[in-house]
Amino acid sequence: MTASVLQVRDLKVHYQRRSFNPFAAAPPVRAVDGVTLSIARGQTLGLVGESGCGKTSLARAILRLNAITGGQVILNDRAIEGARGTELRAARRQMQYIFQDPYSSLNPRVRAGDIVRSPLEVLEIGTAEERRQRVSELFAAVGLRPEQQALFPHQFSGGQRQRINIARALAPRPSLIVCDEPVSALDVAIRAQILNLLTRLQKDLGLAYLFISHDMGVIKHVSDTVAVMYLGQIVEQAPRSTFFSAPRHPYSIALMSAIPSASGRGRPAERIRLRGDPPSPMAIPPGCRFAPRCPMATAACSQSVPPLKEVGAEHLVSCHLVS
Amino acid sequence: MGDAPLLAVEGLCVEFRSRRGAARVLNGVDLSVKPGETLGIVGESGSGKSMTALAILRLVPSPPGRISGGRVLFAGEDLVTASDSRIRDVRGNKISMIFQEPMTSLNPVFTVGAQICETLGRHTGLKGRPARERAIALLQDVGIPAPAQRFDAYPHQLSGGMRQRVMIAMAIACEPALLIADEPTTALDVTVQAQIFDLLREIQARRGMAMILITHDMGVIAEIADRVAVMYGGRVVEEGTTRDVLDRPVHPYTRGLIACIPDIRDDTDARAPLSEIPGLVPSVWDLQRGCPFADRCSEVLPQCRAEMPLHRLVDGRKAACWQRAGGEA
Repeated sequence: MTASVLQVRDLKVHYQRRSFNPFAAAPPVRAVDGVTLSIARGQTLGLVGESGCGKTSLARAILRLNAITGGQVILNDRAIEGARGTELRAARRQMQYIFQDPYSSLNPRVRAGDIVRSPLEVLEIGTAEERRQRVSELFAAVGLRPEQQALFPHQFSGGQRQRINIARALAPRPSLIVCDEPVSALDVAIRAQILNLLTRLQKDLGLAYLFISHDMGVIKHVSDTVAVMYLGQIVEQAPRSTFFSAPRHPYSIALMSAIPSASGRGRPAERIRLRGDPPSPMAIPPGCRFAPRCPMATAACSQSVPPLKEVGAEHLVSCHLVS
Repeated sequence: MGDAPLLAVEGLCVEFRSRRGAARVLNGVDLSVKPGETLGIVGESGSGKSMTALAILRLVPSPPGRISGGRVLFAGEDLVTASDSRIRDVRGNKISMIFQEPMTSLNPVFTVGAQICETLGRHTGLKGRPARERAIALLQDVGIPAPAQRFDAYPHQLSGGMRQRVMIAMAIACEPALLIADEPTTALDVTVQAQIFDLLREIQARRGMAMILITHDMGVIAEIADRVAVMYGGRVVEEGTTRDVLDRPVHPYTRGLIACIPDIRDDTDARAPLSEIPGLVPSVWDLQRGCPFADRCSEVLPQCRAEMPLHRLVDGRKAACWQRAGGEA
């Protein structure tokens, strides 16, 4: 394994709520509650989980867009969780974000070329001439025509807007890009184009991706390592082939069996069905967080918290029932 | 399954007028649904899936939109020419609809119970206590825990999955013969989506209701549709049984659409690039002469741009493609 671009150790993001009782503070929303992960150069970590499990909070905390409650974020061997000022700016050159919604993430009043140039200006990279050249390079790299630099976002389709988003993320030559559901707002035919573009750029530039998605098919296609998140914690992490051939955590198994497949394999009869909705991070159940919805839970599950332990080569699972 | 279709859509056209001229969003849609059957409609955004559903119930916003041609035969009666009071009687009663976004399709200032009672009152005349009891029974039917308490809940107090269950309860309140579900689970998580599909399947089996399910997800189609219609550019380009269409697609668009989906149950480990369909969906402003897919098609013939292909029976299903005009797959 090559050196890690990103290491996250026991990261916590808690949001404080306003209390209506003057004598007691409201319990915090524990959106991310002790996450540890690492991504090597040129590799993709696929992060899956249902809405509200803390995927986006985790991603935003890594990029220092959210306040970090505890833990460490190490980017290219430098701890950045407490970085400020110039140090934080230097870190921001190395990490960029591709947002989910290609409509709301581009300013409708700014021309496409200026959108792509803006990170270079904000981070003070290069001279005016160098910036102009870089923008042209980036437009070519993501498959847009040079004359499209003068157009406004509304003149592009969803897929093209996502290409502008990608070009903007690439502008400061980052080593890590966080892709937060980059294709979930796109049609399937366009989705394939964007996924292929991201894969090609990764190969050419040696980028590390933290790829967030709720779509297992997409995760399987892009990831080297897969991490499953449930209620602020990682419950299973494994290399892609291990994970998809033999997931061990009951939640991962349920998540996979809930996905309808066009190939018609995996019929409804052989499914594990979860009851109820994902619980709220404001009222975290005691013991294993998944126990109230788990079809295999025993009495022990709701009493003690299962540790994340290694069950195979680089395969981590937190479940009392898996040994 | 009976042979007479419950719903037959024939040559349905919808256009929107504006200063730029007329935009044709539906270009002769043909569909049919038999009693008790599930028809899946699949296609990209802008292919006309939702517009077809709205046009069936005459809910196309008018003006600027209007149904410019074709017929919608429901149990033998043409809904396009039916009187306004007649269509109001059909909506929510004989044919009901579930929308994509459960948050915006429920009224936030009324309790869910009041909203179900409104539907009951409108179509069955049930009011007061009997209506309340019936509504609670419906909430129970759709698997809402503690239905008597939930009757008085406001939409914001329920989760996305629960709200969609309430929508389903309203939709089945009058025991419709046909339920149209427009992307009912797009806003929900996969584990909740699986619960909603189980529920729809169970209700359908119990009541013998026909269903039209609109989705962009081929997996969902494989899961619950008996037959599938693939839409592109305001037309149905291929229609047949789900297994025929998904396992052996004949139209180049259907083939492309299936090939570009990453599948988790695909056993190959090699990470080959996904196949792409180049280009974009045609604009509704362009006047179509030939096949709407011609510009993106890898097997295009000179004829394709000149003349619209007609539906032909190919390998047990209907397809509109000049390549398949000879009848072989």
